[in-house]
Amino acid sequence: MPSSIPVSDIDRAPALKAPARRVAKSRAWYLDVWVQIVRRKPLGTVGGTIVVLMLAGAVLADVIAPYGYAQTSLRDRFVAMSAAHWLGTDQLGRDLFTRLLYGARVSLYVGFGSVALGSALATLIGVASGYFGGRFDLLLQRAVDAWMAFPPLLLLMSIMSLLGPSALNITVVLGLAFGIQNSRIIRAVALSLKEHTFVESARALGSGHVRVTVGHILPNVLPTIIVVATTGLSTVILTEASLSFLGLGVPPPYPTWGGMLSLAGLDHMYQAPWLAVWPAVALSLAVFGFNMLGDALRDLLDPRLKGG
Amino acid sequence: MKPYVVRRVALAVPTLFLVSIIVFLLLRLMPGDVATRMVEGHAYAPTLAALRHDLGLDRPMHVQYAEWIGSIVLRGDFGRSYWTRQPILDEFVRRFPVTLELAVLTILVSVVIGVLVGIVSAARQDSISDYVGRVLSIFALSVPYFGLAVVVVVLPAIWFRWTPVWTYVPFSVSPAENLKIMLVPALVFGVTRAGPIMRIMRSALLDVLRQDYIRTAWSKGLSERRIVLRHALKNALIPVISLVGLQMPLYIGGSVIIEAIFRLPGVGLFFFEALGKLDYPVVQSVNLIIAAMVVGLNLLIDLSYAFLDPRIRY
Repeated sequence: MPSSIPVSDIDRAPALKAPARRVAKSRAWYLDVWVQIVRRKPLGTVGGTIVVLMLAGAVLADVIAPYGYAQTSLRDRFVAMSAAHWLGTDQLGRDLFTRLLYGARVSLYVGFGSVALGSALATLIGVASGYFGGRFDLLLQRAVDAWMAFPPLLLLMSIMSLLGPSALNITVVLGLAFGIQNSRIIRAVALSLKEHTFVESARALGSGHVRVTVGHILPNVLPTIIVVATTGLSTVILTEASLSFLGLGVPPPYPTWGGMLSLAGLDHMYQAPWLAVWPAVALSLAVFGFNMLGDALRDLLDPRLKGG
Repeated sequence: MKPYVVRRVALAVPTLFLVSIIVFLLLRLMPGDVATRMVEGHAYAPTLAALRHDLGLDRPMHVQYAEWIGSIVLRGDFGRSYWTRQPILDEFVRRFPVTLELAVLTILVSVVIGVLVGIVSAARQDSISDYVGRVLSIFALSVPYFGLAVVVVVLPAIWFRWTPVWTYVPFSVSPAENLKIMLVPALVFGVTRAGPIMRIMRSALLDVLRQDYIRTAWSKGLSERRIVLRHALKNALIPVISLVGLQMPLYIGGSVIIEAIFRLPGVGLFFFEALGKLDYPVVQSVNLIIAAMVVGLNLLIDLSYAFLDPRIRY
C-alpha cells in the first residue's frame, strides 16, 4: 500500500502541503457536527440553545428556583404574574416558575433515561436481527410487527395503569416501547452494513460474531443511533407528558408539565389561565428544541433518514 | 396482485395472534388485582374466592387465554366487563361512531391543511408563503395537542365566555348540533397532526416537480395549475397517504385524550374508564379490536398504492 512504497522527498513535499492543513483542521466527527450545526443550521442552533437552557434550568433548579416545588402558601393562591411570582401561582399558592423548572427535571430525567435505555435495546434487537438474519430475524420481526400494531398510547396506558404511576416505571416502559419501535431503523442499517467488504474481511481474518458486531458494525451504526435518539427525545417527552396528563405518569406532588396541565386542575384554570398556558408553552418549547436539534443532527449525520 | 393480497392477509393472522398474546400476558403479569378491589371496595361477592371463581380467575392462565380467544374466533364474543357484566362488543359498537367521526374529521382537517400548505410551499419554494408554511408546520409539530386543547377550552371561556358544548348529541339525532360539538376537538387535534403532513407534502412535491415528465408538461405549454394539480400531485400524494396510514395508531391513541378533555362518549373514553377500574376484559378486547383495525388499515393502504401508482405491481 502507499505507505510502504518509498517516496523521495521531492515527490512528497508539495503533495503533503495541502492535506497537512486539512489534517490540522479536522476534528473528530462527534465534535465537528456541533460546529457544522452552528455554521449551517440556524434552526438547529436555536433548538440546541433551548435544549441547553432547559438542561441548565433542570440541573440548577435547586439554585435558581425562588421557592420549593411543593411549598404552599395559602395567602398567595392564584396570584397573577408579579415580581414575587414571575409566572404566577396555582390553587395552593405554589410558584409556577419553580414548578416548571422542576418539571423540566422530570421531563429530562424520563426523556434521557428512557431514550438511553431504548437506544440500547433498539441497538441490541436491531443489530442482532439484521446481522444474524434468517429464521431468528423472521421471528423477532413478527414480534416487533405485533407490538407496532398497537396504538402506542393505548398500550402504554394499559401497562402504566397496572404498574402504577412512578418515575422509574414510566422511564422503563417508555424505554421499552422506544427500543422496540426504533429497532427497525437500526436493523435496516445493520442489514446494509453486513454486506460491506470490511465485514467480510473481518470474518475472513477470523473474528467471531461478537467481535464483528461490537468492533465493526456498532461503530458504523452509532451515527444512526444518535440521530434516532435525538429525534426520539421530543416524542418521548411528549408521551411522558400525555401519560402524566392522564394521571398515569409521574405522581404528584412532584411537578410534571403534563401533570400541571392535567384535567384534574381544569376548574382552577378558568380562574387562573396561566396555569394552562405556561406548562403548554414550556412543553412546546422543549419539543421544538429537541425536534430542531434532532433534525439538524440527522441532516448532518445520516441524511438517508430524512423525510421519514 | 391477487397472490400478493392473499400473502399479505395470511401474514396478518400470525401478527394478530401475537398481538392477542401480548395484551393477554401483559395484563396478567402485572401487579394490581381487580378482584380484591371489587370485593373490598364494592362488595361484588361475599368472598374473594367466590368472586374469582365467578370471573374465572381461578383457572390456569392458558385456559383463560384459550377461552377468551376461542370465543372471539368462534362466536365473535369479546367477553363481558367485570363491573357491569355487559357485553364488550355491544358497548364498543355503540361508542365506535363517535370515535370514527372524530378520527375522520381530524384526518380531514389535517390532510386538507397539510396538503394545501404543502402545495403552496412547494410550488412557491423560498417565497414568503413558503416560509410562512414552514413556520406553521414547525408550530404544529411542537405544540402538544392536549396542551392546545386545554388552552382552547380555558382561554375562550375567560375572554368571550364561550365554552365547548359538553353534552354530546349523536349525529343521527341532529347533524348540525353534532358537528358543532365535534368541530373544536377535530380542529385542535387536526391542526397539530397537520405538521408532518405539510412537511412530507412539500418535500414530495418538490421532488416530483423536478422530474423529466414535469419539464415535458411545461414545454407542452400547460398551465402551472394543471401541472401541479393534475400531473405532479397524484405522484406526490403517495408518501402522504403512507404517512397518514402510519400515523393511524397516533390518531386512535390521541382520541383517548381528546375524548377525555371534550367529554365525547367514544371508544377512547370507554377504554380510559375501564383502565381506571382495572377492567381487564375491556382493556384486553378493546386493545385487540383496535390493533386488528390498524393491521387491516395498513393492509388497505398498501393495496391502495397500486391504484395510485400503476408502476407498483406485486
